[in-house]
Amino acid sequence: MEAIGQGRQCIKYLQILKSGTGFLAPATLQTYNNTQVRHRITKHWKPEFKRFRREKVIKMEIPNLQEKSEDMTTEEIRSRMKEKGILPPRPWLDRPFHISCTGGIFEPYVPPEGDGRKSLLSSIGAKQKFEFLEKKSKSMLAVRKIRNYEEEFETDEFGQVAQDIYIKAHEQIALKDKHALREFITERAYPEMMHNVKDKTIHWKFLQSLEPPRLVHARVTDVISKENLFAQITVRFHTQQLLAIYDRFGRLMHGSETLAKDVLEYVVFEKHISNEYGQWRLHDKIVPEWLPARQPAPKTYRLVEDLVQPEEAVTEDDKKEVAATA
Amino acid sequence: MNSLLKSFRILSVTKEIGLKAVTQTSAFHSSAVLDKKWNQRNYGPTKWLQHNKTVFPPQEPNEEPRKAFVVHQRANIKYSPNKMWYVACLVRGLSVDEAIKQLSFCLKQGATDVKEVIQEAQEMAVSRHNVEYKSNLWIAESFVGKGRVFKGVRRHARGRMGKVEYKHCHYFVRLEEGEPPKHYYQTPLTPEDQFNKWMEQMRSRKIIHSL
Repeated sequence: MEAIGQGRQCIKYLQILKSGTGFLAPATLQTYNNTQVRHRITKHWKPEFKRFRREKVIKMEIPNLQEKSEDMTTEEIRSRMKEKGILPPRPWLDRPFHISCTGGIFEPYVPPEGDGRKSLLSSIGAKQKFEFLEKKSKSMLAVRKIRNYEEEFETDEFGQVAQDIYIKAHEQIALKDKHALREFITERAYPEMMHNVKDKTIHWKFLQSLEPPRLVHARVTDVISKENLFAQITVRFHTQQLLAIYDRFGRLMHGSETLAKDVLEYVVFEKHISNEYGQWRLHDKIVPEWLPARQPAPKTYRLVEDLVQPEEAVTEDDKKEVAATA
Repeated sequence: MNSLLKSFRILSVTKEIGLKAVTQTSAFHSSAVLDKKWNQRNYGPTKWLQHNKTVFPPQEPNEEPRKAFVVHQRANIKYSPNKMWYVACLVRGLSVDEAIKQLSFCLKQGATDVKEVIQEAQEMAVSRHNVEYKSNLWIAESFVGKGRVFKGVRRHARGRMGKVEYKHCHYFVRLEEGEPPKHYYQTPLTPEDQFNKWMEQMRSRKIIHSL
């Protein structure tokens, strides 16, 4: 009788549970709805084989062929070299520099506002004239010094000489003959002139000189020792030129094949005068501040905003100025 | 070879005892000194990137502008070339944006490398090769090459040995400017063309022993 009573009670409990009033109800319901899920088993059915299987393959180290020394920290490189037993290389503290040219322009010529066409009566014009006279005396001294080393030097004739050098240098850029180019430009000017020339086709033509090239500024300075003299001469060019730059695929990037442009330039020429075999070479170009901005290349550029505010960094197509090569 | 294997066995036994012996096995292939003897002139793929240096002659103003292209590669990716082939085929003939989207959801290890290479090439095209819009590119070529293979040893029964190949692969890509073509491979025949082709085949049969 007792057993039957217990059985009845059990049924009662089950009924209560089934009605879902008790807090255990969801748990019991889950047992009914349980569907079988097969999980992926990577374990061997007999775990003792795992060791044998592992021992079948003889471990060996493969070098990481993707890693580059640039990406590694110094500490990592150090430990790697220690591992291989390589001694660290000798620290290279020498700084390469050229002694065949100077590194810049000393006392650069400041082109007067509006190319010196301001009236003498205006305050700016008067100031310009005064400065011009002050600098002229210094230039005269420099020219006299140059004549000590180069007897046939003439200020009137130098303009033409400079123009020839200027034309030859630009022709060599268009031809991309870097060995011939070294004859006409200094080592300082070389990277600036050859920058961005790679992969491009340049068509450059010197049409005519609108005004005769004029010597406007001359300076002589000594470097390291007193006898080691360098001379720099600034020449004003007002010329007409043609420039067309094509990209790698022969598409016109900048300029035009037909449209001639008037160019006003102040070009610095340098010579190592104490060197017997020194040559006048193109050294630098003075770009006046008052010059209007150059015409940009007809191309769309992507303006990348600051990465600090990624929400606002909306890309905009914007036309930017491009540094022209010549 | 058997003696070599025996020596390996001895080494694996002495793993616990002598650390020095183990380091010798680990440096079996990776040592630069050894590499220099048998693999000195292996510079990896060298020709593919040369295509970036070809300069085309200037075009006339009335000519249609030439399409820009840029080639790029990544050498010696630690992934099997056989598996990489599937990834290379996946992106072939897609636009760059679509390819990057597809590769982001491709569950293959090599997909990350391919994606990176394509993104690098895209960057190069804009910065160096005068491509105006970076989305206006499509994957004209995408293929895989076999890279360095390191041979490992696997132990078999009865003192025999097996070879394990640890493979590397090269991935090459060429991006071209413009819209991708509708059909990268052959243009499929229309039903009518198919029918005509079949008819042609049928009619051109030779019936032997006939008049």
